[in-house]
Amino acid sequence: MENIQVDALVVGGGIAGMQAALDLADQGCQVALVEKEPSIGGKMIALSKVFPTLDCCSCITTPKMSAVAHHENIQLYTYCEVQSLAQNGTGYISKVLQKPRYVIEDACTGCRQCEYECPITVPNAFDSNLGGIRAIRVPFSTAVPQIAVLDMETCLFCGICEKACPADAIDYSQTAEEFEIEAAAVLLSTGFEITPPDAKKEYGAGELHNVIDGLIMERLLAPTGPYGRILRPGDGKEPESIAYVQCAGSRDETLGVEYCSRVCCMYAIKQAMLISGSLPLADITIYYMDIRAFGKGYEQFFQNAKAMGVEFIKAKVASIKQDENQNPVLRVELMEEGSRVEERTHDMVVLSVGLLPAYNPQAVYGVPVEDDGFVDIPAPNASPCNTNRPGIFVTGTAAGPMDIVDSIVMAGAAAAEAVAYIHEQEPAGSVPVPAYAD
Amino acid sequence: MATRIDPTLLYEIKEYGAVGIEKCFNCGNCTAICPLTSDEYPFPRNMIRRLQIGQRDKLVQHLDPWLCYYCGECSETCPKGAEPGETMMAMRRWLTAQYDWTGLSGKVYKGKGWIIAMLLVAAIVVIGLAALLAGPMVTSQVELNTFAPVHMIHIADLILAAALGIFLLSNLARMYFFVFGKEERQGIPLKIYLTGAWTLVFHTITQNRFSECEDSKRRWTNHLIIVAGYGTMFALIVVFLGWFQTDNIYPIYHPQRWLGYLAAGALIYGGVEAVLGRIRKEHEMHKHSHPSDWLFPILLVLLSASGLTIHFLRYAGLPMATYYAYVAHLVIMMMLYVTVGPMGKWAHLLFRPFAVYFQEVKAKAAQLQRETPAEAVASAAD
Repeated sequence: MENIQVDALVVGGGIAGMQAALDLADQGCQVALVEKEPSIGGKMIALSKVFPTLDCCSCITTPKMSAVAHHENIQLYTYCEVQSLAQNGTGYISKVLQKPRYVIEDACTGCRQCEYECPITVPNAFDSNLGGIRAIRVPFSTAVPQIAVLDMETCLFCGICEKACPADAIDYSQTAEEFEIEAAAVLLSTGFEITPPDAKKEYGAGELHNVIDGLIMERLLAPTGPYGRILRPGDGKEPESIAYVQCAGSRDETLGVEYCSRVCCMYAIKQAMLISGSLPLADITIYYMDIRAFGKGYEQFFQNAKAMGVEFIKAKVASIKQDENQNPVLRVELMEEGSRVEERTHDMVVLSVGLLPAYNPQAVYGVPVEDDGFVDIPAPNASPCNTNRPGIFVTGTAAGPMDIVDSIVMAGAAAAEAVAYIHEQEPAGSVPVPAYAD
Repeated sequence: MATRIDPTLLYEIKEYGAVGIEKCFNCGNCTAICPLTSDEYPFPRNMIRRLQIGQRDKLVQHLDPWLCYYCGECSETCPKGAEPGETMMAMRRWLTAQYDWTGLSGKVYKGKGWIIAMLLVAAIVVIGLAALLAGPMVTSQVELNTFAPVHMIHIADLILAAALGIFLLSNLARMYFFVFGKEERQGIPLKIYLTGAWTLVFHTITQNRFSECEDSKRRWTNHLIIVAGYGTMFALIVVFLGWFQTDNIYPIYHPQRWLGYLAAGALIYGGVEAVLGRIRKEHEMHKHSHPSDWLFPILLVLLSASGLTIHFLRYAGLPMATYYAYVAHLVIMMMLYVTVGPMGKWAHLLFRPFAVYFQEVKAKAAQLQRETPAEAVASAAD
């Protein structure tokens, strides 16, 4: 079994993991970054723009993805999963499973000939299943690495891709392989999932045609999105009235989620602004319990949205039904208008779904989670990146709901903590001095 | 007008069985999900807010708790688990105590000790009266009307009914004065009270508003069965006792028998169903039952069961057992009325239909006000 020795193992290649890996590598550490998907980039690479600056998401994420791939101190392992972790002195040794792409990684040039020829189209998970993608494909246009991956579940073994590949990279008989990574420190950046569409039966349990979640709207807004414009998925109509339902997955005991997800207010406001740009005549209404615009520049951002004509209505949406034209009908108490209960019809509803923990590291890493499912941080004020095990750090939304700004800040903090730990454990001189220190 | 704020109100209502009012963050989910809420009576959030900030004067005027039939949707979907449905229930108890001028209602609702004391008083009074006034116990055969002469019992029944009526109607009057302010009362012509009266009759008989509660058909049916059984039995005992309590043994097809069986059967079936619901706790309404919620159906079942027992012991020809069962039956009846009677849960039989009626009167008065200038209303009321 192949054995790789590094200073730090970073688990998860979203924005937090990439940033932590880059910060570690820039400080002279050897880093292995393990990502379970075929490409790094995480959730952020699928987003349209970021709040509160409205900068393009790809413009921030793709340079970091490339930097990770090309950094001399970073070894990137995509489509891999950490199977187990064992104590190894003061460090850790982990078994990692390389899942088969059915494409020889060293041979593939990312030319996408296989993808163009493949006759099978499947829903594109990167576009929240709105558009289609081939059974063999490069995951998305800016994927890193640019290596094709074959979805064996839907493949017909027609052999067309094998013939089309100019590099003879297709290998239907590829199998999973295990290898070991020895690292002095481990960083968990396993990220989040969003509230599942069927979580709340009062909101149609995912059955209503024109009720989507915030991530789907991100794809509709993104320049690389499935339609290239905003259309409601039920019948392709251009929506004239769009409603946001806040706290559709957070601060709700009936869903077992009592915490605030911290990003939903801001992404709803951001999306409302972006929709105002692409559909200038559309009415946009945000139904909220409280607007939590807590970060630097966030309150101004909220005020700007109001000034732009986005309507904010203080009301918790109790239920969403659908009329005969597939229009979602919301039932709310208009508490600022004499507590009148009203049914309000919109063309499309966006659920501002919350952030849920994506992964429980207890079984593999021996790191417990708190009641909310996020990684337990024993001393959140004194050492916010430390888990219960020395040498295992946590960063990004694995630690709790947070936005991109906070994820990047925390990634830097976790990298700094990890470097200090690595220096403590290893004899002086064994960790190279950063290049910039010369 | 100045509004008085009473910070202790929240804790007072909690003593009436409300759980989790302080958790409420006023999102309005409960009101929006409620199938019975209306523009004039938007509940429960509006009321819970008043409760949180302690608007005692405003709350005592509220009809809202009586217009809620506890379908439980609000509690099921409340994002804070603040149990708005149970708060409405507690508000009904609290309002009953506010309407009650004797002050006993609040004490019995708030303290288990008071319930036990009232039960004991009922037992002592009835057994004492029986010891003083009962006729001879004929042991050769069952002669109930010798032991408890029907004309005396009938007089006692009428006295009891009158007492119940006095307490109930005086409390109802207080409810009326709370709900309608002085100016409002002057603005409502008698005609409106009369034309709205049909609502009162209709809702007393059908409890129709209950059936509009979502997924509550079963509870509504069960409630109808109890009301029908109770109404029949009340008439038999208070009005037709001379015909109903007899030493004659009738054939099974005689109305004295089958009417009694039907009414007692309905009460036992409905009462047991209500108790089982509280044991199973499947419905939202049954998750936080207050002692008074248990006591009412249990006493109803015991009352009907002891009544049937008297009947069967009499038919079996067991004189002493019949007489003792009879006294036990009276004890249970007295227990029912002193604990959950006109100062308790039983009183809702008047407050609920009257709330619907008052709501209608208010709506008609408001309509009249819109249609005619204020001076005309004032002169019409004179």
